[in-house]
Amino acid sequence: MEKYVVLKKKDFNDFIAKLALMQTVVAPVKKGKKSFAFQEVTTGKEIALQYIPTILPPKKYFMPQQETIMKFNKAKFEWTPVLEYNEITIFGVHTCDLAGIQCLNMVFTNKPKDINYIVRKDKITIIGFECNAYCDEFASCAAMDNHIPNGGYDLFFTELNDSFIIHVNTLMGEKIIEEISLFSKANDDNLKELEELRTKKREIFKNELNTKHSDLKAVFENSFNSKVWKDIGAKCVACGNCTNVCPTCYCFDIKDEMNLDFNTGSRIRVWDSCQNEDFAKVAGGESFREERANRQKHRYMRKFNYPVDKFSRYFCTGCGRCTRTCMAQIKLKETVNALAEEKK
Amino acid sequence: MKKVKVAFFDFTCCEGCQLQVANMGETLLDVLDLIDVVEFREVMSEKSSTYDVAIVEGSITTHHAIERIKKIRKTAKVLIAFGSCAAIGGINGMKNNFDLTDIREYVYQKDAKHFDTIPTRAVHQVVPVDYFVPGCPVYIPEFVKVLKSALMGIAYNVPDNAVCVECKLNENECMYDKGIACMGPVTRAGCNSWCINNGNICYGCRGIVSNPAEKGQKDIMEKYNISLEWIENKINMYNKPRELGELKTNE
Amino acid sequence: MIQVPLKESEYIVKKGTIIRAKKMTALEKFFEISLAGSEVLDHEPGQFVMISIPGIGEAPISVSSSPTTKRSSFELVVRNSGILTKALHNLEAGDVVGIRGPFGHGFPTNILEGNDLLFVAGGLGIVPLRSLINFVIDNRRDYGKVNILLGCKTPRDMLFGDEVKQWEERLDVNFQCTVDRSDPDWKGNVGLITSLIPGVNLDIARTFAIVVGPPIMYKFVIAELLKKNIPERQILLSLERHMKCGVGKCGHCQIGEHYCCQDGPVYSYDQIKGKHEAL
Repeated sequence: MEKYVVLKKKDFNDFIAKLALMQTVVAPVKKGKKSFAFQEVTTGKEIALQYIPTILPPKKYFMPQQETIMKFNKAKFEWTPVLEYNEITIFGVHTCDLAGIQCLNMVFTNKPKDINYIVRKDKITIIGFECNAYCDEFASCAAMDNHIPNGGYDLFFTELNDSFIIHVNTLMGEKIIEEISLFSKANDDNLKELEELRTKKREIFKNELNTKHSDLKAVFENSFNSKVWKDIGAKCVACGNCTNVCPTCYCFDIKDEMNLDFNTGSRIRVWDSCQNEDFAKVAGGESFREERANRQKHRYMRKFNYPVDKFSRYFCTGCGRCTRTCMAQIKLKETVNALAEEKK
Repeated sequence: MKKVKVAFFDFTCCEGCQLQVANMGETLLDVLDLIDVVEFREVMSEKSSTYDVAIVEGSITTHHAIERIKKIRKTAKVLIAFGSCAAIGGINGMKNNFDLTDIREYVYQKDAKHFDTIPTRAVHQVVPVDYFVPGCPVYIPEFVKVLKSALMGIAYNVPDNAVCVECKLNENECMYDKGIACMGPVTRAGCNSWCINNGNICYGCRGIVSNPAEKGQKDIMEKYNISLEWIENKINMYNKPRELGELKTNE
Repeated sequence: MIQVPLKESEYIVKKGTIIRAKKMTALEKFFEISLAGSEVLDHEPGQFVMISIPGIGEAPISVSSSPTTKRSSFELVVRNSGILTKALHNLEAGDVVGIRGPFGHGFPTNILEGNDLLFVAGGLGIVPLRSLINFVIDNRRDYGKVNILLGCKTPRDMLFGDEVKQWEERLDVNFQCTVDRSDPDWKGNVGLITSLIPGVNLDIARTFAIVVGPPIMYKFVIAELLKKNIPERQILLSLERHMKCGVGKCGHCQIGEHYCCQDGPVYSYDQIKGKHEAL
């Protein structure tokens, strides 16, 4: 049977403090007027519970921006594969970002499996947090069907009137609830309140796009030659922000770093972006996506078309980060709507 | 490994980049295990007529400087343009906004005729340069990377994407969201968005990206209500000498 | 941050020792490499390896030798075009490199069996194609007619001259060669490789065309082959991309939903013809 517990709001700070004693806790922290970031916290007061999706998604903990994958000793020609990880708890993950983590899991457990990712993800405890209302106008989580929790967490918090109701999803979640004895069993009233909240949510969150979830793939499949890409290409400055902030962009580069002894060093994996000029360049100098328009198209295809073939899932989570971060005002909702409009 | 002889030279500059080297701390000790510094006015009085690597700070602003940098180029196997002044012309390039005679008189008044001056140039606009370390001042982790590349004999390319990329990875609140204009979108990365991490804007000290998407940039300027003149002035603060074009040898 | 050693990883490199190195042209250098502990690379013609120098980096290079030639070593041809390949050019016999792989799907030698073959190699395309050509020659009786069309920029750019001459002299191989620009000593064809295709006599139903060359070449060669009515399924191509991981993750070699490093680099034309950005 599904297990729900309740935490009084007045106990929230205590909960985070106790959790932080068990393990490093990271949670959304306010960075500026509309900017938030996941950072280490030790008290509940530091956490921004009402937050717009953070600048970078929690993917930064699952695939770090820079990660050593091998150590070498040149003189001895010795190579040691290594794994880097932190045992952490991420508190406050929205449903869009839970979906993002699920996408990354699919990619890195796909054969040939990525051991570094797989081991690291198992060292991370995930505590979700429900959005009871829209964060802002850029989100399209309802269109992507990610506005209601759909697994991918150990615990999931939903804010009720004077308490939080928490879905206990895993043994790890269970362990936290047991060790931090601030929780009580959810009663029928609590469950009813949650039920009502979800019903209300279904009224607030409505498909933000002009296209049905199931039809999105077809829109993109038929849009390779669309004029929309040209318009976007003219706006784009190829800064790469959209891919860095995307919870499901996972492209990387592999580089060597030599230590100052000129003998030992590391092979590292760093985030890369298909928006960069030379991302798809080959030795002869040809680039298969020289135009910015084609690079943007590629980014969208990687969200709405290609992964459906490969993983039966859209890789857009509806978090809205790419739109929020884009200086050139390339807006995901507008793009999708324009493509769909053109198809009609 | 035989120690490589390295000499530091300064032309028109504030010597702040060399000061960065003196301030490197422990990394400097590691670096000194590999190289033999034979000339470095900022920290020692010895001079040397032979060296493998010349690290040149400052821009070229007089006829005498042209002769001197040519000599250095002849002696050095590897020449590193060190800091914005050397790599892109830098602050000294602002002089190029004015008539040369006027600006000379404005600065030196009645003694003007005793001071030789030419339009400010980056080092590579006078002699070939092997490595560039732009930055005002240089970002030491990048300098170490360049030094390693030079000692390994492999190329180092200054990143050709915008500072925004690194800034985003550092999760800074965007200056534009705070209502402040910033040069990050057109400036070459490689500094780990050092200035913005510390609450400052990007001044464009690392040079302009090679393909800055004019139409897109104009839209952005319009969106944030920034005038073309403002952005030109900001670009020219560090990057004016780029208008002089590439290498000129016939002077 | 906790850092622990791993027993397994897709990124482990094997030690490869260069046993022969030879400059071929101004830009290309040849390497014969053997793996430590007499390990066999066990590759198929058309596959590639990731080669690396510690501290400098890694790059994908196609294997040029046929697995039928010898088991104890394999051959690569490296064009000096980037930081790593430049550093590789400084290496000589006795030096050590890192090897990962082989990766990808090579040419389907079993499917080609019993069929006539038309090899079309442009420029560096001869490097991976040589692996298959020699494989076929070493198993000559398993294949039908063998046609080889070779194109290079100038006579000086021709790689594997001695071997090419042997192919030319064989009675069981129909060989033709052309150069884009001639020199005074050249007595052969001058013109693009596409100009050789119309003259080849083919039994269309049982001919497989195997095409490898620079990206620009494909469009024109394919058009010529289609004019000859070779079925799309029977046109095989090897696509060049700059793979960084080789294990279908990093995104650099992506063509549509395909990762060229895993699903390719060899494709039949009908697999990729509609695919955006494939050719």
